[in-house]
Amino acid sequence: MPNKAVRDVVERYDDYIEQGDAPEGVWVGPWNNLIKSLDSLNGLYNWGRKSSIWPLGFGLACCAIEMICTGFARFDIARFGAELFRASPRQADVMIVSGTVTKKMVPQIVRLYNQMPEPRYVIAMGACATGGGPFKEGYNVVSGIDKYLPVDVYVPGCPPTPSALLQGLMTLQAKIEGQKLSEVPWYRAGVSEGFPVPVLGPDIFDPRQIPVIDARLSEQEEPTTKAGKPPKAKPAELPAPEVELTKLAAEFLRGTVGADAFRDEGNALIVEPLRLVDVCHSLRNGFGFDYLSNVTSVDYPDRFEVVYHIYSIAKGGAHIYLKVHVDRDDPVIPSLISVYRSADFQEREVYDMMGIRFAGHPNLKRILLWEGFEGFPLRKDWKEAYYEQEQKPFDSRWPEGYHVAAEDRNIWGKNVRYPQGWDPKTWKAPTDGTLVLQPEELSALSDIDTDKIILNIGPQHPSTHGVFHMRVLLDGETVVDLEPVMGYLHRNHEQIGERNAWLMNMPFTDRLDYLTGMGNNFGYAITVEKLMGSKVPERAEYIRVIMAELTRIASHLWAAGFLISDLGAFFTPANYIGEEREMILDLFEMTAGSRMMVNYFRFGGVAYDISDTFIAAATHLVKERLPRAMEELDRYVTANEIVQARTKGIGVLPRDEAINYGAAGPVLRASGVQYDVRKAEPYSIYDRFDFEVPVLYGGDIFDRYWVRMLEAEQSRRIVEQALRDLPGGPILEGAPRWSTRVPAGEAYGRVENPKGELGFYVVSDGGSNPYRYHVRSPSFVNLTTLAEMSKGHKVADVIGILGSLDIVLGEVDR
Amino acid sequence: MTTTDIIEVLVKIVAVFFILLTGFAYLTLFERRVLAALQSRIGPNRVGPGGFLQPVADGLKLLFKEDIIPAKADKFLYLLAPVAVVVPVLLSAAIVPWGPTIQLFGRSIPLHLADINIGVLFFLGLGSLGVYGIVLAGWSSNNKYALIGGLRASSQMISYELAMGLAALGVVMLSGSLSMVDIVNAQANGRWFIFMQPLGFMIFAITMVAETKRAPFDLPEAEQELVAGFHTEYSGMKFAMFYLAEYIAMIVISAVAATLYLGGWRGPFVEQLPILGPLYLFLKIMVFLFIFVWLRASFPRLRYDRLMTVGWKILLPLALINLVVTAIAVVGADTKFFGLLGG
Repeated sequence: MPNKAVRDVVERYDDYIEQGDAPEGVWVGPWNNLIKSLDSLNGLYNWGRKSSIWPLGFGLACCAIEMICTGFARFDIARFGAELFRASPRQADVMIVSGTVTKKMVPQIVRLYNQMPEPRYVIAMGACATGGGPFKEGYNVVSGIDKYLPVDVYVPGCPPTPSALLQGLMTLQAKIEGQKLSEVPWYRAGVSEGFPVPVLGPDIFDPRQIPVIDARLSEQEEPTTKAGKPPKAKPAELPAPEVELTKLAAEFLRGTVGADAFRDEGNALIVEPLRLVDVCHSLRNGFGFDYLSNVTSVDYPDRFEVVYHIYSIAKGGAHIYLKVHVDRDDPVIPSLISVYRSADFQEREVYDMMGIRFAGHPNLKRILLWEGFEGFPLRKDWKEAYYEQEQKPFDSRWPEGYHVAAEDRNIWGKNVRYPQGWDPKTWKAPTDGTLVLQPEELSALSDIDTDKIILNIGPQHPSTHGVFHMRVLLDGETVVDLEPVMGYLHRNHEQIGERNAWLMNMPFTDRLDYLTGMGNNFGYAITVEKLMGSKVPERAEYIRVIMAELTRIASHLWAAGFLISDLGAFFTPANYIGEEREMILDLFEMTAGSRMMVNYFRFGGVAYDISDTFIAAATHLVKERLPRAMEELDRYVTANEIVQARTKGIGVLPRDEAINYGAAGPVLRASGVQYDVRKAEPYSIYDRFDFEVPVLYGGDIFDRYWVRMLEAEQSRRIVEQALRDLPGGPILEGAPRWSTRVPAGEAYGRVENPKGELGFYVVSDGGSNPYRYHVRSPSFVNLTTLAEMSKGHKVADVIGILGSLDIVLGEVDR
Repeated sequence: MTTTDIIEVLVKIVAVFFILLTGFAYLTLFERRVLAALQSRIGPNRVGPGGFLQPVADGLKLLFKEDIIPAKADKFLYLLAPVAVVVPVLLSAAIVPWGPTIQLFGRSIPLHLADINIGVLFFLGLGSLGVYGIVLAGWSSNNKYALIGGLRASSQMISYELAMGLAALGVVMLSGSLSMVDIVNAQANGRWFIFMQPLGFMIFAITMVAETKRAPFDLPEAEQELVAGFHTEYSGMKFAMFYLAEYIAMIVISAVAATLYLGGWRGPFVEQLPILGPLYLFLKIMVFLFIFVWLRASFPRLRYDRLMTVGWKILLPLALINLVVTAIAVVGADTKFFGLLGG
């Protein structure tokens, strides 16, 4: 961009020289010519900068995965000399804002940008970074990073393919080529003072705008809402085994805690709040229901309802479904953390989203949003800044409607809303009390004068697998305490999901765990199908299984590759695995049209049929290519001395703790628990395939790595069988429809996703959109184990332990 | 010393500087291309023919980057640190014999800058000095990651230098001199010390990777753990200085290893054609450099405490054993001790 200010100065000085009337104190002379002559160096100057663009190594969301792929073998950004992803902003030239920018993350991003040396550039990668994307209306999402930072290149796509990012890089090169030394702004004084870092108050704000906010606060319109209609939710028609199980449980509980503690509703037990802990204790110890899988809540007009889904690891099969009615005006119930540790984060989430307090919870504070956020967003009477209507599609988008950008309706021009009566002038930022050293702790330290330090790992860090943040208390290099901090990618999945029509949520589930789109589709589809009573055609079932298992292979291999990278192996295994993953993504792209965001499943089937080309390519892949690749990985990585030394016996999670902490998937199975939803409660057609559930007993990083490799091998076998037996026929029950009405009721459906048990809890009031939509995310619950596993280990081990949990932030924060 | 002597030394200094700096630049490209090849990628190939100008572009860009000094840094030490890292590394290049004495313009010119009689000691000493810059960088940046990186560097250096020095002593005993030139001369006719000191060579090879802070011993900058370690807060040319030091250290230490164990510049026909000397040394250095890169592409990082264990509990005792065995052998050979035993 031509810098008018400098040009003006040069021209003015030219005039001074010509007319000889320079004001006193202004020195004119060769300096002026020098500035102009600098432009002859432009070619060299720009060539150097455009040929050496080092990106800042930080990824926000789904786009980051494609950004990583851009660095891998097939696309190889190194050709442009741009593969040196620097983890430190001081050494980076371009910040690739790859993914959804949340309000909680904006201050960090602005700070990172301020830490980058000039000349610095910003690439807004993907729809979210450009303008908010599919999550624009979310209460924690900003509509584009350009509201806060100057953006040089926008790369469209959701996510943009790696080739699109390369195109973006070349566009940036072209922009750099057009710059002139005499006009670039960064050699002037005062340029690098930095952009204002926004502050997280009741909503995000710029501290310099406090007077403006104060003055205009009264003009802010409160959202107009139609009177909420009470849902007609009726008890779900559960399959016979679940009703049977509920009866059995009720009978058992009558004998132990007494009949007055609960009410049998046929499909669920309505538990008295004060007796909840007794009931759960009894269910766990006497009845063998030791695995609390899901905790969430529903906001009904007359009450809150906290719901629990509890499973038995040993018996397998269906869940016991507990409900607790909570008073809307004083929502307090006892915490279950003393019985099931897996309640820890999930109760905090319920508190964060719906404001229900859990008495006895040791650390009850906001988990996805920040302390000080105004309101509880999943309550039905809470409206987000861009609120338009309860249901999509919004009237304004219909043909006869009008189109108004959401920010035009908002007086602040961006996705914020401040509470009435808020006084910005006296506002003080609250602290969340995360790992703060107490004075007595400091003085009680050992006899030599040592200090513990608190190290913030993340949210921008090369090994946190996204925007995860760990506050670590260190004694030397030994971890004394650790607290996970999350929510930097909280994209309001559930709240947006409750405005969406049923089918509209399908593409959103792709973006939960963005490495396993097919698996997420699967989980959502079977949950809604439970309510709809759909019959999925045979061919569609087989296609579903093929896609889900291919996803599992891709996800497990990716996890293994990045675990080794976390241990310091400079991406070599990850690169080779990336190649195999690309082959699987090709199959997805061939069928669904997208590499990652497949949006492929439909209620009652799948969207497109697979071709003969697909079958041939997939057969070759699972029969020839993958076995070789996995064998190779095994040969070079598994037996490596350093890999063994770094992983064996590190981060051990004992069997009982794994169950109690609600660990799922490979994490659970590496701790000696043979539990796989595909076997424990078979869904789809998994009972037809011959496969095993690998289980290992060490519970350390190595076993978590190895169990994934064994599972990938089993998945390969399943795909092989499914391709062999694939029948013909239709792929969708009935005609394709885009709007579905789902009968009233509630359902909890779960699938064995690569990361573990992915559950969807939906409540329908018979309308065109879900009344309540909750995702039980395995990555999120698995993180509960992190602190316990990490204590006493070294910093380097913590990175490995986190890598072995294989979290994806899209799913952790939702 | 005549004027021509002084001119000769100055020319040689400039030449060595030039070689080292160019070597640094193209070593980065070499590393990126080799890493790419090992990862089935292509690597930089667009900047200049075949990517050949990539280091030039990187240098130009770094030169024009804003030079940030963090507000809370200890300014003096922060500025001193990169210099304190680079100077010892450049100095240590002075003792490397790059080739035999050649005849040029009627003068016989030895292809080394300084043949000091404590060459090996000088090299080891400068290696220890280099770590001060790293520690200062970590300390003065006022950044926790940098601090941990600096601390790691200091303990790592201490635990590896000892083993390295003891391993090198084996060579010194065999050649009977601390001078690098004498050591090369003692290896004439293919009697390379690697054949007499295989254990010593292995220890030296491992410790030289640790000494240069290269993977799998790159704990001070461990990207996956410490973001960028001790140089987290450095930008622009100051950041480049750390890399300069690291890469030149790689070249110099490879040259020293080649000199100590692989006969230095010696090789076939070098007596007849002295200019082959530097070429042989170059090839030997390249072998080491390739191994450096190969290691980086292949291995995960060791953990801090295990690194210490390897240094103190494995390498140091092994180096001591090597020393004792060498000492017995040398003394034995001198006094015909073994001959007497054998009758």
